[in-house]
Amino acid sequence: MRRMILRRLLGAAVQLFVVTILAWLLFYVIARFTGASPAQRIAGKTASAAQIALVAKILGLNKPYWQQYLIFLGHLLHGDFGYSYFQDRPVSSILWPATRATTSLVLGAAVVWLAIAAPIGSYGGLRPRSVGDVAGRGLAIVGMSIPVFWLAPMISYFFAFQPTQGRILGLPILPSGTTLFPITGYTDFGQSPIQWAYHLILPWITLAIGFAAVYIRYIRTLTAEQLSEDYTRTAKAKGASTRRILLRHVGRNVAPTMTVLLGADVATALSGVFFVETVFAVPGLGWTGVYAIQNLDYPVITGVVIVAAFIAVLANTIVDLLHGVLDPRVRRLAAH
Amino acid sequence: MTMDTQLLEHEMEHEPSAQSPVGLRTQAFRRLRRDPVSIFAFSLLVFLVLAAIFGAPLAAHLTGHAPNAQYANALSVGAKPIGIMQRLYEANGTTHNPHGSLFVLGADSLGRDLLVRVLYGARISLLVATGATLLALVIGVSLGLLAGYLGGWVDGVVNRLTETAMAFPNLLLAVGIAVVVGPGILNVVIIIALFTWYYPARIVRSATAATKQMTFVAAARTMGARPRRILFVHLLPQVWGPLLVYATSIIANNILFEAGLSYLGVGVPEPTASWGSMLSDAVQSSMYTVDLSLALVPGLALVITMLSFNLLGDGLRDALDPKGTRR
Repeated sequence: MRRMILRRLLGAAVQLFVVTILAWLLFYVIARFTGASPAQRIAGKTASAAQIALVAKILGLNKPYWQQYLIFLGHLLHGDFGYSYFQDRPVSSILWPATRATTSLVLGAAVVWLAIAAPIGSYGGLRPRSVGDVAGRGLAIVGMSIPVFWLAPMISYFFAFQPTQGRILGLPILPSGTTLFPITGYTDFGQSPIQWAYHLILPWITLAIGFAAVYIRYIRTLTAEQLSEDYTRTAKAKGASTRRILLRHVGRNVAPTMTVLLGADVATALSGVFFVETVFAVPGLGWTGVYAIQNLDYPVITGVVIVAAFIAVLANTIVDLLHGVLDPRVRRLAAH
Repeated sequence: MTMDTQLLEHEMEHEPSAQSPVGLRTQAFRRLRRDPVSIFAFSLLVFLVLAAIFGAPLAAHLTGHAPNAQYANALSVGAKPIGIMQRLYEANGTTHNPHGSLFVLGADSLGRDLLVRVLYGARISLLVATGATLLALVIGVSLGLLAGYLGGWVDGVVNRLTETAMAFPNLLLAVGIAVVVGPGILNVVIIIALFTWYYPARIVRSATAATKQMTFVAAARTMGARPRRILFVHLLPQVWGPLLVYATSIIANNILFEAGLSYLGVGVPEPTASWGSMLSDAVQSSMYTVDLSLALVPGLALVITMLSFNLLGDGLRDALDPKGTRR
């Protein structure tokens, strides 16, 4: 078990190392040939060649590439992501609150998508081809087909913007000027948990719908598989209720697989936050990233990429270790 | 997201069948033809391709509106674009049309014809997605075949590569690369392929690794078949089934990928119409709250396309399932 954990952690470290190399190559080496160099960006458009050379020297840009990378890595290890070209502050002070907001968004959305998918999916697995199953699968395939960057403005329009005009879903039944859900804005959990949840409800649902659709299918397949196993038949023969079979027997066997899927999808969800955060103005990593892209603020883009990759690797690692805890077979396999 | 699901479903289910591929193929095709949902999805996709190839220039010719031409008169007071089925009578690029020119789906916030643009956008979507998918398949199938057949360190390297690549939020890195290399259709195709090759690679690898254990491959080797012949004549035909299912979902995913990149402003450059950039124009200017059709037209085009691909993918998978049971 300990060997498995060590190997997994080592793997995660290697993955993170690869990301820092990629990010550095992309934003510090390749970017220099395709656009303005960092020295030029910092010195400004009107800077003379001598000034640019001075800034380059201060930044260490005249050193050989391998030294530059080591300096970059050394700064990263101390939590120093450099200085934003556009906002007048260090990148780390931008990234930290953004990471908190994005974590709230993604984890909350995961709860929402599981809450939607678990009942629909397990019902489908329990009663295949029933009306409920067919409807559930129909919903799933429609949900899978709706791009999140279209869903976000639609949900914002119908549930946040239209109520302020006195309508909901186009029907004029609300008093004009109602605020059903806030259109934009974000409150940190530390300030007011209720306001935090209230501001995040629509973003959570928006991010969750696509994943809920996929999870309906996962859970349906997994449940149907488990129900065709001998042990569930035995449990049924012994008189266990459907509820008990689903929760205690099927749930226990599906849990390890679900954890692994969740870990992978947290990484996938980080792509979705780009669109959800910009539409609902949640000041997270996606929102920060989009504005950095618009301003070609390379240190911030680099920071966002590295932090997001870090979250993804962290999620996958935690989940793999949890998998070992939840599924004794994995431990035995690792022991060999 | 959908790609990961289907990959997982394949890895959970795919066992190479010992049946001859020709028999399986005929059977699968017969099953597919009997499935009304698949037929419907396939027809929609054929219609989409025809609309993109012939419909776009036809619509531009009939309305007299070029896809990127801006008609100042199509914006009323307060810059509100004219709505669905509205005619414009002023002589503004409509000289050959004395009855006024019709904006079938209205105009966008710059006074461009929405119908013409959504049709030209279909061209970009299909072109980029198909190009990127072909490129990804070429890379993925070659690496997958090599890794599955050779095993050993080649397999190890390809496996680590795919695992590492799959662990990261693709879109994020793709956006990063797109920012650095700059916008452009060819760049977008290469970037998307760079982030999708490992899906087919994994499928082909696992199928090849499983198939090469089978006796008919050993028999071929005994009879003196060279590795190249074994790879292309014996192993490749065994993986075409799951690959075909997978290709449909890769194309669908790549359409989304392109739209996503264009939505973020790092995809197909303006003013070329693309569904993603049309949506982003509507949303980022908040103009869609004034006229919802600005977001509805490109959005529904995307949803219908994705739905068709997903339905067809499901139908194909059911049809190719050697057990022949509908799930």
